[in-house]
Amino acid sequence: MSQTSGNQGMNEQLGIIIDTGNRIFADGVDKAVLDTAERGEFAQSLWDAVVATGFHVVGSADSGTGLTELFALLDVAGTHAAPLPLVETLLANAWFGAADDVSSIGILDGNWIVDVPWGRRARRVIGIRPDSGECVIVEQVDVVDQRVNLAGEPRDVVKVPGTARKSSTSNSSESAWSLLALGRAVQTGGVLSTVLDIALQYAGERAQFGRTLSKFQAIQHSLAVQAAEVAAARRAATGAVDAAGTTRFEAEVAAAKIRAGDAATVVGEAAHQALGAIGYTHEHRLHHFTRRAWAWRDEYGNEFDWQRKLGAMIAGDGADNVWSFITGR
Amino acid sequence: MLELDRVSLPESSESLRHEVRGFLEEHRDLVGEPNSDFTTGYSPEFSRALGKRGWIGMTWPKAFGGGDRTFFDRYVITEELLAAGAPVSAHWIADRQSGPLLLRFGSEKQKQTYLPPITRGESFFSIGMSEPNTGSDLASVRTAAKKVDGGWVINGSKIWTTDAHRNHFLIALVRTSPAQGENRHVGLSQIVVDLRNDGAKVRPIRNMAGGEDFNEIVFEDVLVPDDRIVGEPGNGWKQVTSELSYERSGPERFLSAFRVLVEFVRLVGPNPLPHEAAVIGRASAHLMTLRKMSASVAGMLNEGKQVDVEASLVKELGNNFEKLLPEMTRLATSSARGAGTAWRSAYEQTQLLSPSFTLRGGTREILRGVIARGLGLR
Repeated sequence: MSQTSGNQGMNEQLGIIIDTGNRIFADGVDKAVLDTAERGEFAQSLWDAVVATGFHVVGSADSGTGLTELFALLDVAGTHAAPLPLVETLLANAWFGAADDVSSIGILDGNWIVDVPWGRRARRVIGIRPDSGECVIVEQVDVVDQRVNLAGEPRDVVKVPGTARKSSTSNSSESAWSLLALGRAVQTGGVLSTVLDIALQYAGERAQFGRTLSKFQAIQHSLAVQAAEVAAARRAATGAVDAAGTTRFEAEVAAAKIRAGDAATVVGEAAHQALGAIGYTHEHRLHHFTRRAWAWRDEYGNEFDWQRKLGAMIAGDGADNVWSFITGR
Repeated sequence: MLELDRVSLPESSESLRHEVRGFLEEHRDLVGEPNSDFTTGYSPEFSRALGKRGWIGMTWPKAFGGGDRTFFDRYVITEELLAAGAPVSAHWIADRQSGPLLLRFGSEKQKQTYLPPITRGESFFSIGMSEPNTGSDLASVRTAAKKVDGGWVINGSKIWTTDAHRNHFLIALVRTSPAQGENRHVGLSQIVVDLRNDGAKVRPIRNMAGGEDFNEIVFEDVLVPDDRIVGEPGNGWKQVTSELSYERSGPERFLSAFRVLVEFVRLVGPNPLPHEAAVIGRASAHLMTLRKMSASVAGMLNEGKQVDVEASLVKELGNNFEKLLPEMTRLATSSARGAGTAWRSAYEQTQLLSPSFTLRGGTREILRGVIARGLGLR
């Protein structure tokens, strides 16, 4: 926590990244691209556009950008449900040197790395342990099982070969797990803002009983609740990004991941209710966004995991220090 | 989409925390049984001490006893007082909204008369909006002030008026001329009533938690002088809605249940069971987020922006949280384990107060309507 300006951390470069990101993802992601990705086909031309603008190294050393820009790009990607393993590629590039091809990250579990986003397409896969900086780097990627999450996003199982390099992410002052979790929380804020937009647009167009849904108080209140949840998820996420590099980071990430998950549950449910049966069809685009919001709750620690972690920190400080923990002072 | 500014508290405001904590330590005898609900503790002595320290009306100009401080500073002071469970009820309304209202719309003489005593913690105000037949539909107020020679004669009644039986003044929303057809917002005015000297009758109403902080006030030909009208006669609707923005975004909208969290942490100790830790973590995540949102609104107030929609977002989420928190701790605690503990008494007190959280300062339904308007739905 530092400055007071209304656009803290906002600079020209950040604005360009956000605008360009919005353009690339608006041009390159539509319903057809999302459907194709869900059939397991990588969105190569979208990836090429990302590489062409140098977005795959945002946040890496020598890119002139840092975590603020990295997370801003993830927010934009989430808004468009961009079907790329961007959290993983950006962080792998930042930690282990920029590569021009797809990198991914999964959870190291014995001889396997599980939950690897687009492992089948990655040229480099990092397997990390959730509670230590210890990790392995796999450059001959052998996918032994192709799985998907609730949103149909590939979450593959990769074998750890004898040639895998052991390494550590502990040179970063923020833990790898926290950065990954914050990546999902930020993306969730983005994807939920689109869910809200879809619900608002639908309510303004769909007429029943001689008036648009937006004129019904029950619908207005539901949309108000959704808007409040989205605002909370997004503010929690930006707050955590701003805490990078401080001792507060872990706690702020916990808050952001928990808050994003709670918002995803409320907004996903309410948006589907507002859209009725059409939002339940495969043909409608809403589910690409709501299923991601739901799926991402579980990735890099679900709400309960982070609640326990944050709660243990606070309890460890004692009842008379709860407030100073909350305020960070 | 409604997005809150990415604003954090400046270091100069953060540093005030330690001053407040030191002050509270010094005045421990005045704090008594801590309760984070802003309506619960009423202590004119504490308010006077706070006024002496310069922490009432601190954003107002020095000319009227204020401190010319920022809304960030005020945010820090108020949340520190609430978190500590300090008795802030006496001066709360005057500091939060009556003073700012007078500052914005009052005459020079009114500002000179009313503001300095407020900042000294010597003059306490109540809000005169609701009536027996007017709850959320504020424009339907029927209490009327009729112009007579040298003043106004008020007839009607106000209700749910917190601390009217012990505060000095009330700012009443009254009808001074008839509505024009469908337009009920015209013809409303705000008028200062001297609760101790004007002859308004105050009757206490006991609430379900056993408290007697709210009241009904009856006006029978109560005469008040001309100089009590705030702003232009007929401008009351605009004034009252601007006042409500101050009322909705502050930390009192999410800290009412905070002592329950503190006592729950005490109850479970430093090594809680997983489900107990999860309760603490979830509550804290929401609280940490609400603080950021409220600070964002403080930043908007600093810049003189309209905050009605953003303030409503904070209150909507904050009130939900204040209700969720005691409930989560209850479910995590067996009746045998909780019996006789400080957590149990904090929980019970908060559970009983909780219906008021989503009623006072604008009901949940009204707030959602305000947010919906901000979304362009109305």
